[in-house]
Amino acid sequence: MDFTQVFNADLWASFFQDWDQFAQGFLFSLLISIGALLTALFLGVIFGAMSTTKSKVLRFLSRVYVEFYQNTPLLVQFVIIYYGLPLISNFVLMPSIYWTAVICVGLYHGAYIAEVIRTGIEAVPVGQTEAALSQGFTYIETMRLIILPQAIRTILPPMANQVVNLIKNTSTVAIIGGVDIMFMTKHWSAVHSNYIPPFLTAAILYFILCFPLATFARRWEAKNKEAY
Amino acid sequence: MQMKRIIPLLLLPLLAFLLILPFFRSISALTNSNSDAQLEAGVQKIVDRGVLRVGVKQDLPNFGYRDPESNQYTGMEVEIAKKVAAELGVDIEFTPVTAQTRGALLDNGQLDMVIATFTITEERKELYNFTTPYYTDAVGFLVRKDSNVQSSWEALDGLTIGVTQGSIQWGLLEEIAAEKGIELNFRELGSNSEVVVALAAHRVDAFSIDQSILSAFLGKTNELLDLQYQPSEYGIVTKKSNTDLATYLDGLVQDWTEDGTLQAIYDDFGLKPVTEITE
Repeated sequence: MDFTQVFNADLWASFFQDWDQFAQGFLFSLLISIGALLTALFLGVIFGAMSTTKSKVLRFLSRVYVEFYQNTPLLVQFVIIYYGLPLISNFVLMPSIYWTAVICVGLYHGAYIAEVIRTGIEAVPVGQTEAALSQGFTYIETMRLIILPQAIRTILPPMANQVVNLIKNTSTVAIIGGVDIMFMTKHWSAVHSNYIPPFLTAAILYFILCFPLATFARRWEAKNKEAY
Repeated sequence: MQMKRIIPLLLLPLLAFLLILPFFRSISALTNSNSDAQLEAGVQKIVDRGVLRVGVKQDLPNFGYRDPESNQYTGMEVEIAKKVAAELGVDIEFTPVTAQTRGALLDNGQLDMVIATFTITEERKELYNFTTPYYTDAVGFLVRKDSNVQSSWEALDGLTIGVTQGSIQWGLLEEIAAEKGIELNFRELGSNSEVVVALAAHRVDAFSIDQSILSAFLGKTNELLDLQYQPSEYGIVTKKSNTDLATYLDGLVQDWTEDGTLQAIYDDFGLKPVTEITE
């Protein structure tokens, strides 16, 4: 066991023989990411909008959701949904591994995205809303035509970072036995006592998914600085 | 600009490698440190010291278990260790061990012997001394009582078997399933307790690992199937260099097997060593 095994062709060859299993794990991670992203965006927009309305009830509900999910570990939520839900529902509610992951990661990042959207909207000076309303725009029109086009600039970079985090957090699914990249890596390496190729490849696969998004976020942020 | 793009691409895999590097160091440290100087009269040394230092399990009822209230160790393996100490006429000092720590604690001299469901394998014999087996266990199945699974391979057809990460059961069971013409699904989880939770939540139908481990999780709701594969023999383990002690312990185990001492201890804890595998 030394540094040379990074370049040991035999280790890599035996790893690539089972490459199709890793490809399937990669696909599973990708599918969870897509499902969870759609869920998180949907929840984020709804609760983000709720937290900027005048209604105290809606703001309170949004606060409760955001605080609950920001202050409990994702791992605990996975265990509650996957093992707890069947136990308390007498085995009626039994979400599959895929749906458990989509629900948990979706809810978790929905809370963060709601905060990103709230702060984005709040960053637009309140005078703009007042001006628009005084000119006879409705609330919806004010949002659609005046506030959101400006807020989107502030929202997008941190939003892209949230998506990167979401993709990385899908690896939590390995805890409940979901066969994603992380699971394949740990399982395969333990069975074959061959660690470097699978772990390096797992890192590279996550990198391929996340790097373009992170780059996009950074570029957009740089562009924003020159906007006005 | 071009360089800026390439640098992170090169750095990240390197960083990933550096992060997992310490893990391999610890593995090689474990396997390399067992060739220390030979002790003369390894048994006499313990008698002179007046204390036998033994590594036992603390979480396996009936094998090695520490009562959280009284802090007393009980179990079949604990009783055998006490008999060894009595034979030597010395006091005994128990140290709780796990599958990860037991080898290292022997190697660095903190323990004289380990009696902790340590399965005898050819690879391990290269690293440690094993006595004649004092107990034979086998891999079995834990199921929920209310699931009414019968003790036959056919009854397992189509069920999901929970296994622990890094264990060999998955591969073994796949071979058996192919042989028997049945289909098994697998769910691999991080630890024994997680598989037990999954069993309770109906996420898996059976948990397969050594029966000694399964017996810790019987509770009120679970039961063992009368179905085993892959017998595993447990031996008392000593440091490779201390052959004196190994020979001495081996003699004791052989004597106690013949005169029924071991059988009496099994009976005290309701243990039945596996004599034949139900195929």
